[in-house]
Amino acid sequence: MAETARPIVIRVNGTERSLGVERSRSLLSVLRTELGLTGTKYGCGSGECGACTVLLQGQPVRACTTPVSHAEGRSVTTIEGLVREGQLHPVQQAFLEVQAFHCGYCTPGMIMEAVALLRKNPNPTELTIREEMAGHLCRCGTYGRVIRAIQSAAAKMRK
Amino acid sequence: MKPRGADDSSKDECGGSGLTRREFLQAAGGVVVLFSIARPLEAGGGGSAPPTAVGDINAWLRIGQDGRITVFAPTPEVGQGLRTELAQLAAEELSAPLSSVDVILGDTDRVPADAGVSASSALSTIGAKVRQAAAEAREMVASMAAERWGVPRAGVVIEDGRAVLASDPETFVGLGELAGGRRLVRRLERPAPLKPAAEHTLVGRPAPAIDGPAYVRGKARFAGDVRLPDLTYAKVLRAPCLGAKLVRAETGVAAAQPGVIAVVQEDDFVGVVAVRPDLAERALRSIQATWEEGEHASIGSLYQDLRQSAELEQEIAVRGDVETALAGARQGYSASYRTPFAAHAPIEPHAAVASPQGERIVVYVGTERPFGHRTAVAEALGMPPEKVRVIVPAVGGAFGGKDGPDVAVDAARLARAVGRPVLLSQSRVEEMSWNYFRPAAVIDVRCGVTEKGEIAAWDADVFNCGSRGAEPPYAFPNQRVRVYRCNSPLPQGPWRGLGGSANAFAREVHLDYVASELGEDPVAVRLRHLRGDAGMERVVRAAAERYGWHDRRPPTGLGAGFACAADDGSCAAVVADVEVERASGQVRVRRVLVVQDGGLVVNPDNLRSQIEGAVVMGLGLALREAVRYEQGRILTGSFASYPVPTFREAPSVEIVVLPDPASPPRGGATATLCAIAPAVANALFDAVGKRLRELPLASVRLRAGT
Repeated sequence: MAETARPIVIRVNGTERSLGVERSRSLLSVLRTELGLTGTKYGCGSGECGACTVLLQGQPVRACTTPVSHAEGRSVTTIEGLVREGQLHPVQQAFLEVQAFHCGYCTPGMIMEAVALLRKNPNPTELTIREEMAGHLCRCGTYGRVIRAIQSAAAKMRK
Repeated sequence: MKPRGADDSSKDECGGSGLTRREFLQAAGGVVVLFSIARPLEAGGGGSAPPTAVGDINAWLRIGQDGRITVFAPTPEVGQGLRTELAQLAAEELSAPLSSVDVILGDTDRVPADAGVSASSALSTIGAKVRQAAAEAREMVASMAAERWGVPRAGVVIEDGRAVLASDPETFVGLGELAGGRRLVRRLERPAPLKPAAEHTLVGRPAPAIDGPAYVRGKARFAGDVRLPDLTYAKVLRAPCLGAKLVRAETGVAAAQPGVIAVVQEDDFVGVVAVRPDLAERALRSIQATWEEGEHASIGSLYQDLRQSAELEQEIAVRGDVETALAGARQGYSASYRTPFAAHAPIEPHAAVASPQGERIVVYVGTERPFGHRTAVAEALGMPPEKVRVIVPAVGGAFGGKDGPDVAVDAARLARAVGRPVLLSQSRVEEMSWNYFRPAAVIDVRCGVTEKGEIAAWDADVFNCGSRGAEPPYAFPNQRVRVYRCNSPLPQGPWRGLGGSANAFAREVHLDYVASELGEDPVAVRLRHLRGDAGMERVVRAAAERYGWHDRRPPTGLGAGFACAADDGSCAAVVADVEVERASGQVRVRRVLVVQDGGLVVNPDNLRSQIEGAVVMGLGLALREAVRYEQGRILTGSFASYPVPTFREAPSVEIVVLPDPASPPRGGATATLCAIAPAVANALFDAVGKRLRELPLASVRLRAGT
């Protein structure tokens, strides 16, 4: 169903997408429903859990509270866009090596935030990681492992 | 080939083009192992083997002609690491590479029925069966190889996915080739010998999670991620408060909105189906509904409500004569303990996709109970159960909270009404409001102490949370636990450890209280009364030793607390170090030591990870979590109002696992979970001298003068 006369153009994971969607719809809904990018998760719809985190121009945002119009003419990276030439991003690799997940539902949002964190601060302290990641909830309680995974990725990325 | 994980475990069913289990098993030759015995195997637990009728649906393991091993088990992966641990168990018994095992879980067309096994105890019950099936398959292929080479069974070695002639290692045959294209079915009559733990090379070691790559790539498919052709999106109308009855709903405006396919009304149920989720929501908001509100429960009278409605359900753990012993005690100590309703609060809210396929319906739903869901959907739709197929994809946390079939049933009836696949997913507020909760509890404890300082009588009245974990591990000569059923003001149901956490809280805090009244060390009092429970004594001693309990000298504002609990066959002892900031009353749990016994530990890293998670979840319950409600309205419908633990609160955790390879594998970490809150409460007493008997241990109560 065409929603608007003027499509919104967004660069998603490196590919330009022209989307005929209502401007007020959430970026999360558009990514999941229109583009089939289901790696970005719904957790709360109000920016409290972090499960929907994506990168907008490299900055982490909560896709559930971001109107799709905010992404117009900009680039969005989702978890599906992190793999380059078949290679996992070092943060993905570290999550895998540390097994920093139980059910895996919060994992994509955590990884996106961690990627942004390490770009900004390649050598964060444990306290910084806790503070920067505090908006991400994991009900399974894997926080300790996520901290270890981010530290491990940071060490590898500094080399 | 890579093992199947969460990303593709059911891809061949998408759109209904895939093989059913029966077709799959019959299509190819190979070795199939079924259980046909009526009695449970090993720790098979509570008659979970199917009674009489045995067909392929009961198969637990298959070795295909290509040598791939497929394990079929009912209980889904919900983050407890079950898929990988079952693969380890099967690969171990068959001496095959871990990568040659596929694990199919939670698909009612493809796996044996579960008989109500909970996800947390699945490893002990389901794991035992998978092990046994794999051992049987190993003996089958070994016998076939022996026959082929004309040697006794002892002349055949099974290793690396092959049968090898012991006298000539150059002679070997792949496990899948031995059936020679025939389909060989073995029904388990007598348990085949299990490989001794000393020979294990896969079990007892960490293994990478099979689902891990899918999780980190965002490829794991949860129920809300299922995409089918012609998929539609639904929302259901919610009452303004619990117990309200729908009088009338004006749905005409909603039905006429763009993108709306149908508004379905059946009795109290109203659902909107639209081509997009936002359009379904918009249409739902335009429905004018009139409700008749029923009785309005509020949290202020919770504990009173429970007591007033109590009916004695059972007396358990009765020993000696508790009344006489209490009357004759030198000193009595009585207190009452309270724990609130708790929400499961998984990050993935309930979701289901239902897809009508001819005269059948397929439902993808995140649940711990696929067969229970199948029954519920079949009953709601008036269909025979075999016409309903429930497939559990990845599940984003459950914690006992995804047993209820409402979302699956609602999706199914909407799908049937519109004749198209329907995705129904709950919002956060729906997840936190329209679900059942961990039962709230009141527990009264009376105990009597003799001249010698022995606890001679222990009498507990347990209201509303049931008998799980209510029997004390201690050897009190006179004891009685009366369990009362109550009218719960909120819907309640399974939750990790269920009543075990409330019962452990009451018991372990009360024991600490008695110890402090007697001027004795709380660990010494525990050990003195633990005669006869060797498992618990072992973890308590180990925890005290590891922590250096008897030498501890906590500075002002810091405290250490001890507690122990048993659940799902495991014992755990916990020491919590807390810090209380005097001025603000702010509580911080700095460090937690856990000693848990583990039976045969299949994957030590996963067990540690489960225990780490249980510590975090236990801290939430200890310090902050409580479902609040007024006038029948849940007030804790968000993460802001129901604060689950965050990165900031995760403490440093030290874990010691005491394995016992000779005993069967056990469940996860609920024993640890149950011991956290009492350990924290006891630590707060140690730190500030204030005995708290109600959860959550909100910081405000610790401020000076309150």
